[in-house]
Amino acid sequence: MSAVLLIVIPLLMAFLSILSKKLAPYLLLLTSFAAFALLIVDVLPLETITIGGFTAPYGIELVFDKYSLFSLQIVDGLFLLVVLTVWSTHKKMASILLVALAGLNGLLLTGDLFNLFVFLEITAISAYLISTTNKQPIHTFNYVVAGTVGSSLYLLGLILLYNMTGTLNMLDMAIKLVGVNQMAVALPFLLMFIGLGVEAKLMPFASWVKGILGHSDSFSGPMIAGVYAAASLFVFGRLFDTVFVISDSLNLIILLSLSLSILAGEAMAYSSTKVREILLFSSVAQAGIAILAFMQGYTEYAMLFVALNAASKVVLFMIFGSVAKQIGSDNVSDMSGLFVNHKWTGFGVTVIILSLLGLPLFIGFTVKLGLLLSLFNDQNILFIVIILISSVVEGVYFIKLLVELWISEKTPKVKISCQAALIAVLVALVLVALGVYWQPVEQFVDQYLSLRGGWF
Amino acid sequence: MLQYTAIALMMVGLYGLLTQRNVIKIIVSLNILEIGLNIFIISIGYINGGVVPIFTSSYATPAVGFVDPLPQALVLTAIVIGVGTTALGLALAKNIYGKYGTYDLDEIKEGQL
Repeated sequence: MSAVLLIVIPLLMAFLSILSKKLAPYLLLLTSFAAFALLIVDVLPLETITIGGFTAPYGIELVFDKYSLFSLQIVDGLFLLVVLTVWSTHKKMASILLVALAGLNGLLLTGDLFNLFVFLEITAISAYLISTTNKQPIHTFNYVVAGTVGSSLYLLGLILLYNMTGTLNMLDMAIKLVGVNQMAVALPFLLMFIGLGVEAKLMPFASWVKGILGHSDSFSGPMIAGVYAAASLFVFGRLFDTVFVISDSLNLIILLSLSLSILAGEAMAYSSTKVREILLFSSVAQAGIAILAFMQGYTEYAMLFVALNAASKVVLFMIFGSVAKQIGSDNVSDMSGLFVNHKWTGFGVTVIILSLLGLPLFIGFTVKLGLLLSLFNDQNILFIVIILISSVVEGVYFIKLLVELWISEKTPKVKISCQAALIAVLVALVLVALGVYWQPVEQFVDQYLSLRGGWF
Repeated sequence: MLQYTAIALMMVGLYGLLTQRNVIKIIVSLNILEIGLNIFIISIGYINGGVVPIFTSSYATPAVGFVDPLPQALVLTAIVIGVGTTALGLALAKNIYGKYGTYDLDEIKEGQL
């Protein structure tokens, strides 16, 4: 068996699902389960797969190494989680979700920069369609425009690089970029950075986020804030790890703009009074931190950070999306006292948020501490300061939110489905378990540290 | 010259995106941007007086100046994707018209969003 199946099967099923509307949801369920199962059971050999018989720099190749294995496990696992909760309520979306699965898997597997652009567009188009369930055509339209301009910029940068090096393969490009003048690489790099930044929700380029996630329901929220965000951040990690080595001056520019993105995200989350806006601005800030960590070369911590963040955001958006839909508003004041009658959900959400903040006893703490310690070893003071400031601000607004949700006289009348509560509690238990027994995490980091440079 | 035209077209597209408030005009601007980009990609592989990159008895060595075929293949893919996005954008424009009765984003009041 080969990892190509992860792209081919969902794509085939997407075509088949159009033929039979009745079977489509079941096909979706089966395919997303099969994809996740293939990745968990060790049947796919780690290898570089040549497509169409043309060897590496000439043809497209897929890279199935430990990096893509981990990122695929996270993304497909979360995808399955979301599908399990929505497959019976959003039957019309089945074909679109199958295409999205094919695109996401391709995004994480591909070793070719133009192929990456194609998968980027496939995932983006399915994301636009997923966001139409919000019934806000203007916001979706803004998303389409922003996304299309972003991917056009990515393509422009890519073509400039192709003109310079004559190759589209990531590994080959990395080799050929070694002797090239850094100033010449700056423009295409920035264009590609901006293009990918639109999808990854970096601050100056992500004006669409507020419209889409601020009105998201329990389907589009987890999908776009969790699954898609994780995939696009992992793509960033791949590019920084494999292709680009950035010069110091460019590094400084990007470092500053990312720092501003993080601080602005936290500030906007702090000043917001709407639950979903708090969550979406906090994930803007978290995306900035993840990309900073990828850029500075702390790939293993960044991978864990992205995974934790995505899992947390899937659950939070799922619960608050459905609650906001029932109440008809997502002001914090309208939701106050929500957890008084929903103690289990409250427990799950509280643990997830505390782990997101990086409090001890939860896995978020271990990851943040590890990242900070290795930053300290490398004397990277600016980055440490930014992470600490953002953590403090995050702490203030999240604790304020939790207090409001737990302690209140009035309680809103809402129903939270058993499924959502169960998922929240399960994810919370995993976070606590890994937080107390962190040997597996330590092993993971050690193993990946020894893999630096080659991920096989 | 070809590349200047391409960049000019892209700038026209960007200008349209930034200044227009009509949904259809925004989609048209997006298309102009994409066309400019596609011409730019083609121009990367173009050689003045180049020949089709196929070995024949009259062109037996690559030294005669073959045109790079790869950008042309890339452009085909990019065009297809662009058409897909345009179709989606137009479908959304229809939805916007159905919901608000206008294509002009300025006429849709803040409260209606």
